Amino acid sequence: MLRFSEEVMLLLLNDNGGKFVDVPAPSLDCALAGAVLMDLAMENRIDTDPERLFVIDPTPLDDDLLDPTLERIVESTESHDTAHWIRETAVHADGIHDRSLARLVERGILRQEDDRFMWVFQTRRYPVIDNRTVREVKLRLMGVLFSDEIPDARDILLISLSDVCGIFGSLLSTAELDSAAERIAQVRKLDLMGREVAKAVREIETSLAAAIAMPMH
Amino acid sequence: MDVTTERQEGVLTAQVGGRIDGSNVAQFEEAIRTAIDENDRAVLIDCENLGYISSAGLRAVLMTAKSLSSRNAKFALCSMSGPIREVFQISGFDKIVAIHPSRADALASFDS
Repeated sequence: MLRFSEEVMLLLLNDNGGKFVDVPAPSLDCALAGAVLMDLAMENRIDTDPERLFVIDPTPLDDDLLDPTLERIVESTESHDTAHWIRETAVHADGIHDRSLARLVERGILRQEDDRFMWVFQTRRYPVIDNRTVREVKLRLMGVLFSDEIPDARDILLISLSDVCGIFGSLLSTAELDSAAERIAQVRKLDLMGREVAKAVREIETSLAAAIAMPMH
Repeated sequence: MDVTTERQEGVLTAQVGGRIDGSNVAQFEEAIRTAIDENDRAVLIDCENLGYISSAGLRAVLMTAKSLSSRNAKFALCSMSGPIREVFQISGFDKIVAIHPSRADALASFDS
């Protein structure tokens, strides 16, 4: 089974060319951090409530995407809320990003292609080899968005992450997005961790906007 | 966490007490799953003695609702304390799952 961060990377992939949809870096960093925390929750290593995130089982999963974050949480001597751990884990988002893509290549879902632009600038693309996996992830999301059924726990979390990254803007037409907006809002509320990821992104965006608006001296 | 159940006219009522979090959510799920009979037309979880529920507990409740919905059985929650109700409301569960103030109200809703 794919980890959430791998699914997010697949959803961000353009249908042709192996390039990724442009997403604001703070949003993607928080989404990847949230993805790792969500996998740790689904593996019953951590749990949350509106006030704190806490360890249920400190046993490593032998998974290099999840274990470094679990170790940091286990070693923490203070109690913190989910937003804190999203911000803390987002610092390591580049590593999560690269590791997720490497795993998708190892799984035979993507292929890594390095090229040079104007003979100088190195560019990297990830063309899809196994289109079925990519299609399945997208169909799962669509299935939840355009039905009234109670969604599966994993699908709720993936919808929260996709919404944070603005993935739906690239997956759906404007009319589809309009008709799904209410459902997205309903589903993303259903998991406390999904709500906290969205909150962390909003807080970072607000602080960035405030920093930009600050007069220069 | 403790779960006690009773069945009346095809309605299973599970009274849940204590705390539900990741450390005991598997026991909670197992207790509810094994208590539900395929002929049950409705399942009620009475939260009067529930003192705490975490994200893992909320997921378990939602998955119970999903499983019952797939076989057209009714599902409801009742008798929540203020803080527990607040957690369910924050999560928007009240838009998906029926939440009643008392067991009597919930049982009456199954017959309407």
